[in-house]
Amino acid sequence: MKPESVMSTAKNQKWVYLAAVLLVGAGVGYLLFSGLSQNSVYFLNVSEALAMPAEKLTQARLFGSVSEKDLVHDPSAMGVSFFVQDKDDPAQAIRVHYKGAVPDTFKVGVEVILEGSFAADTRIFEATSLLTKCPSKYEKNEKGRMRPPGFAG
Amino acid sequence: MHAISFTALILSMLAAVGLTATAGMKALKDDFDTVALLEKGQILLTVVVLAVSAVLLQALAARDFSYVYVRDYTDTFLPLFYAVTAFWAGQNGSFLFWYLCVAVMGWCMIYTPGYSRLDSRTKVFFWILFFLVEIFFLFALTGPSNPFMKLDPVPAEGRGLNPLLQNPGMIFHPPLLFLGYAGYTIPCCLALASRLSGDSRQWLDLCRNWNIVAWIFLTSGIILGAWWSYMELGWGGYWAWDPVENASLIPWLAGTAFIHTAIVGRTRKSLLRTNVFMVALTFLLCFFATFVVRSGMIDSLHAFGGSRMGIPLFVFMVAALLLTLYVCLVQREDDSAHIDDFASRPGMLFLTSWLFLCLGGIVFLGVLWPVISSLWSENPVGLDAGFYNRVCLPLFAVLALIMAVCPWFSQKSGISDKTGLGLVLGAGVGAAVAVFALGYAQPLALFSATSGFMMIFSITLYFVRNKGARAFLPSWGAYGVHLGVALMVVGVAFSGPYKVESEAVLTKGQSMTVGDYEIVFNELTHDHDNPAMDVHAALLTVTRDGQAVGDLAPEKRLYRNFEQSTFAEVSVIPSLGEEIYSTLLGFNEEGAVSLKISVNPLVNWIWIGGTLSCLIAFLCWRKIERR
Repeated sequence: MKPESVMSTAKNQKWVYLAAVLLVGAGVGYLLFSGLSQNSVYFLNVSEALAMPAEKLTQARLFGSVSEKDLVHDPSAMGVSFFVQDKDDPAQAIRVHYKGAVPDTFKVGVEVILEGSFAADTRIFEATSLLTKCPSKYEKNEKGRMRPPGFAG
Repeated sequence: MHAISFTALILSMLAAVGLTATAGMKALKDDFDTVALLEKGQILLTVVVLAVSAVLLQALAARDFSYVYVRDYTDTFLPLFYAVTAFWAGQNGSFLFWYLCVAVMGWCMIYTPGYSRLDSRTKVFFWILFFLVEIFFLFALTGPSNPFMKLDPVPAEGRGLNPLLQNPGMIFHPPLLFLGYAGYTIPCCLALASRLSGDSRQWLDLCRNWNIVAWIFLTSGIILGAWWSYMELGWGGYWAWDPVENASLIPWLAGTAFIHTAIVGRTRKSLLRTNVFMVALTFLLCFFATFVVRSGMIDSLHAFGGSRMGIPLFVFMVAALLLTLYVCLVQREDDSAHIDDFASRPGMLFLTSWLFLCLGGIVFLGVLWPVISSLWSENPVGLDAGFYNRVCLPLFAVLALIMAVCPWFSQKSGISDKTGLGLVLGAGVGAAVAVFALGYAQPLALFSATSGFMMIFSITLYFVRNKGARAFLPSWGAYGVHLGVALMVVGVAFSGPYKVESEAVLTKGQSMTVGDYEIVFNELTHDHDNPAMDVHAALLTVTRDGQAVGDLAPEKRLYRNFEQSTFAEVSVIPSLGEEIYSTLLGFNEEGAVSLKISVNPLVNWIWIGGTLSCLIAFLCWRKIERR
């Protein structure tokens, strides 16, 4: 091959790479954009959720702990209705309705993560998913989660 | 023993600091005679950490509750087997385990042939960097994360190990992850040291085996974690895109991208700086993963707030990043400017690495989105699992497609075997038509499944048509790993979108239908003879079109030390086709049970493919000649 043709191949290849980068970039960019616009949810503590106007809370992930007041298990164990309270300020609480399988680790005092939406009129959080925090995968919670009361401390 | 162990760790930290300072001062005066001293220092550190680990292990086995750590993670009811695994169940112990892995690997490094080929300059730089990492761990273990804290008075009983962790998966999943994290320490230190000493080509060959081993550990750790969550946690899924799962995936994506750029680097003698950066990035992301878990910065299912490791980890990461950037950007030298054709194997490897890096970037962004979004949003906005599925899965499917066509490109330019590529593309069309005809029309699943089948066909055909590949053991390793990946791609393509799930409350004799299967509830049994737990089991029979398929016995267990909680033990009818998966959600006094049953098509191919990938990767190992 003559030197010029080597040069021109190298140059061409630069364009090919640039085109590939643009293509990959455009594809990833499009996917990211659609993902960010359609799968964004508010991550809120109970107190933050209460401070927000209900109509903005169409989709939210709520972090809090299970309050002892008014906890009603669906008799079939296929749902639960309870108050989720703020981790730092137990006075702040939101009524939650949840239909579906209740995790084993769900009980009073446990930290939960709820996904769902607010019914604007009733101020009830209709949860579509209820997860208890992975019970101390590495660390025990000092509040005595997952432990009979006698062992707390 | 508490004080002795703690003092031993303090002393080894001081020794490491002293050695690093001495070697550094001498290196500044161009004196590199410190190699033998540094090696002895590493052996000393390893002996110390082995000894203190033995102390902790002994305390766990003996349930010596005078250790806070032992009290927190074991009790007298715990079988010895699980008491020992409590070593890595808590933060302090897992840090000790990580450091133990790093130290032992450093000690092994001294005797490897690859190490013997380094000049003393590189060796000194290597040990200085390696000691800095160890000093960080020793600082953590003697300060914010001390596993040898003493408890006074000694309690009679411990708090017990979380029942979810009492599973064979827990024995292997965390240590494999930590071995993987630790494994990247050596390639990273070696890369930076080589570049600092001006020898930037050889390290890729010398750390190749380390890199493969680290990758195998990390990969198998992640796959076992997925299996554990599928079989034990009763979450019903193998991957939930939880921040903590993602945190271990991010270094894996970077490490996998690095494996591919390293091939280009080794065979084409290019991408020198890129490779140094990639390995350092992988190493750093291992710490980032830990940072996410420890710092409580991201609220996650697994996260726990208030750990004191957040700031030290952050400082360590920033320092390491600055050093990496300095080495990669400021230290200029002859990086080869050669570019291969895009339509060549190096070109495809390049593209693969980009995609892996993009995926890593996306997951990183997703994990940090609640933090990033708080810059402009009053309340943090996060991303749900749908985000990752939407954004990442198509990219994984494209990667599978690239893997299917890559073998047919030549090293330099163009396609080396047009017939082979033609056959693969033909097979792809055939697979797509067949999958569609079978009723799997969901676009992403169709695309992924087709790419997966193409990969399987492509790899098989490549070995049929290519004698050179058959004769060379490492190529069995490399293609075998990809074959395993192809099986996983097919498994995910079907088990993700085509899982059928149903929940129902049944009384004795009633039945429910899930997909094509009919499940009859026969009876509820209660076993209270086991001293560690109380077991309730629902006995179910599964039939399909009147034919017996098998029996299921999902359980609810009440562990002795965790009386307020019950734990579900799932039961499955294993199958290479459709696996029936059952969870006993609850039951009442009248004997009615609520059940969750799902049919998971091809899910076991994920575990088969994953196992194949991890095991066969050892064939990639190459012998390095001693100097």
